[in-house]
Amino acid sequence: MLAALRRVAGMAVTLVVASFIIFAAMYAAPGDPVTFLIGNPENLTPERIAAVRAEYHLDQPLLVQYWLWLSGALGGDLGTSFQYHQPVADIMASRMPATLALVAYAAVLFTVVGIGLGVWAAVRRGRATDSAIVGATTLAASFPSFVVGILLVSFFSVQLGWFPVTGAGDGFLDGLHHLTLPAIALSVGALAIVSRVTRQSMVEQFDSEHVEAARSTGMGGAAVVVRHVLRNAWGPIVTMVALVIASLLAGTVVVESVFGISGIGSLLVDAINTHDFPVVQAVLLYMVVAYMIVTTVVDLLLPLLDPRIGNRVKTS
Amino acid sequence: MTTPTRSRGAILAIATAGALLLTGCTAGDPAPSATPAMDLPFGPSTPAARGPVEQVTWMLPAEPATFDFDIDSGAAENTVFANVCERLMAVQPDLTTVPHLAESAEWVDATHVVFTIRDGVTFHDGSPMTAADVLWSMQRHAADGADESDEYANVVAMEQTGDREITVTMAQRDAIFIQAMAGNGGMVLNPRVVEAQGDAYGSPGTPDACSGPYTLGEWKPGTSLTIEKAEHYWDASREVLADEIVFRWADQSAVVNALTAGEADGSYLDSPASAIPLQSVDSVSLAQGPSTNAWVLLATERGPLADERIRQALSLALDRTGIATAAFGGLAQPWKTPIGSGAWGYEAEAFQAAYEELEGAPASPSADDLAAAKALIEEAGAPDEPIVVASDGGSVRNVVSNALVAAAQSIGLEAEIVTIPSAQYGDFYSDDAVRGQADLFSDEYYISKNDPVGFYKNGASTATVNFVGFSDPEYDALVKEAFAATDDAERADLAIELQRRWVEATPWIPVAQSPSTLALRSDLTGVPSSAAYLYYPWAADLGTAQG
Repeated sequence: MLAALRRVAGMAVTLVVASFIIFAAMYAAPGDPVTFLIGNPENLTPERIAAVRAEYHLDQPLLVQYWLWLSGALGGDLGTSFQYHQPVADIMASRMPATLALVAYAAVLFTVVGIGLGVWAAVRRGRATDSAIVGATTLAASFPSFVVGILLVSFFSVQLGWFPVTGAGDGFLDGLHHLTLPAIALSVGALAIVSRVTRQSMVEQFDSEHVEAARSTGMGGAAVVVRHVLRNAWGPIVTMVALVIASLLAGTVVVESVFGISGIGSLLVDAINTHDFPVVQAVLLYMVVAYMIVTTVVDLLLPLLDPRIGNRVKTS
Repeated sequence: MTTPTRSRGAILAIATAGALLLTGCTAGDPAPSATPAMDLPFGPSTPAARGPVEQVTWMLPAEPATFDFDIDSGAAENTVFANVCERLMAVQPDLTTVPHLAESAEWVDATHVVFTIRDGVTFHDGSPMTAADVLWSMQRHAADGADESDEYANVVAMEQTGDREITVTMAQRDAIFIQAMAGNGGMVLNPRVVEAQGDAYGSPGTPDACSGPYTLGEWKPGTSLTIEKAEHYWDASREVLADEIVFRWADQSAVVNALTAGEADGSYLDSPASAIPLQSVDSVSLAQGPSTNAWVLLATERGPLADERIRQALSLALDRTGIATAAFGGLAQPWKTPIGSGAWGYEAEAFQAAYEELEGAPASPSADDLAAAKALIEEAGAPDEPIVVASDGGSVRNVVSNALVAAAQSIGLEAEIVTIPSAQYGDFYSDDAVRGQADLFSDEYYISKNDPVGFYKNGASTATVNFVGFSDPEYDALVKEAFAATDDAERADLAIELQRRWVEATPWIPVAQSPSTLALRSDLTGVPSSAAYLYYPWAADLGTAQG
């Protein structure tokens, strides 16, 4: 209970510190939101600039501006977008589903295929299949996701017409149809990492004593793999999968723009370009929160998968 | 929607879109192409449609942010709401202005304009439009801080002076005011709807407050926005061909893909360069038309360009054809003035004739031009420091900056490029510290009204964007005269004289005009190809080419 409280308090402090760093970084970044807020260069008179600065509190010192933001955020108000003139929370809510669906789809793909390939390679280690899998995934990882995205769009959408070119779709089936190519593009790099970690972790287990012992009792190959090797290999695999998911939550930008998806990634780029501070602040904080949630889930999950980890925590 | 095409063009389209991303350019800055330009149809409109169309998917460069135009508006908002909202005056595809919700607009003396409000107009909620509604709307646009309030800068008073009559009192004659009422400043709103929505008016989920041929349907933020044919549009004589337009938005490379694959039916492209990969797609037809947009090099207050002769010399030596080919695949035109031909909203022939006579900004410098430029440099004396031109690393600005450096070198001047982050580039207009880093910065400039006078006022000694400090009392006097000239022919003469003086003094160096560029599914037609789409209900004219 105390540990849980300590953990929550730690997260709160992390959030406040992160929010301040983000705020200060935007404050220091080159470029002036006033230029975008006024728009027409012929209206950029000193009086108008001063009026707009005052209206958006841009004339206040950094700490005052941060305090204004923080007190709003603590009350549940993330501010109003400079560009959309709508509450930031509403904009985030409309962009979030596309990005979360995309990451979830990609996560399913790279987890299932990545672990599958890793297991296969480990079982066949040293043979041609192993080399082929390792070689192919290494090659795949060397392609940036946007290159994969462009290739996929050009072949499967524009040439063959099998998949839609833009958008995130409407409803579950349409969404799957729309997000298949972007999810593949997003998961190609991750797939290599997950399959390599799976393979390595399993290879280590194969060589361990308890597996030798299980084999010596005459247990069959498949049973050894499932009950002893894979079970003990889960830790690094789950941790790696989680880290990759966390990085994808912040890294959908390029794939979203290739596939014309209005998600959090494209929102962030757009907001940075137009100096839409409240939106930039909210999106970056979302990324921090997403990272914290994913790592917390992993910490809670690992002891369930491998009781030895839980025991260690209790005894220490 | 058509079935996806499988042409060779598709591969080319993707290759170019890919190159875009590979070079890390932002949307709308496609990579330079060596493909020879095809001759695109150029004119105010595409051929008239023969039959109606049920549903059309249209791509925008960005999601609309708000439809409260007193807060803000840009190309995406205007493209959509030109079909939904109507104004006192109306821009036509040929960019001339005619009365619309106002039956007439007339100067009764030097300082009074009378608008006679049309009878029988109803808003989308069925309520009739009254003169009081018009007055309410104009006062909302004119309010301090409202986005369109600059259109009302000379207005002293606005009153309802009859059942269907609004009289506007001006501090001084402002010939552009009536034209401005065809823009967002002249939009007539239904006060009952706006007031019922309060602060939320203009955001997704709120109804429109307008009278146009289309009503706002569902706006799914982040996904799509639909407009539907208005059920009881007040003007029964106006044929409305397209039933429903679904707007979606994406980066230009994705827009190109969507058009190539037949997933979208049309788009007014962000930049002519976006059309380069579409030229070879059979299922998409392209058209260009006049707009006021032009690429220019603006001189700053810093350094050697204070001398008019150096600016003239650079203008004479600039290879505009090379820029149009390298940066726009030939889909932009070398241009002698800082504003596109779409500004010629009246007396177009006079403007065309005057344009052709202009000198000092050749498409490609001839030996004579270079000799003249060198003579100017000799007379002025070459500056000690190299000339610095700003780029943001984007492909168009790269091409323009390199061309300027080449032009300078060809006449014996030293020049170099400084790269400014694109997020900061806009600050050239607001921040003198940023301007202090360069002698010239390139930009695509446009004006919202189709009147050159509205642009050439920027050469007045008091203008906010006259950074180089160009000052000519006669020019200032001409600006005042032109604003007061309510007779079109007279105003055109004055505008032509302003144009001549501007090009001679070259406070900004004209580079290329970037026409409005339309991409449309081949079996559709009818819409304007000019920049009128920002203010004119283009969707009503969109239909099938075959009846």
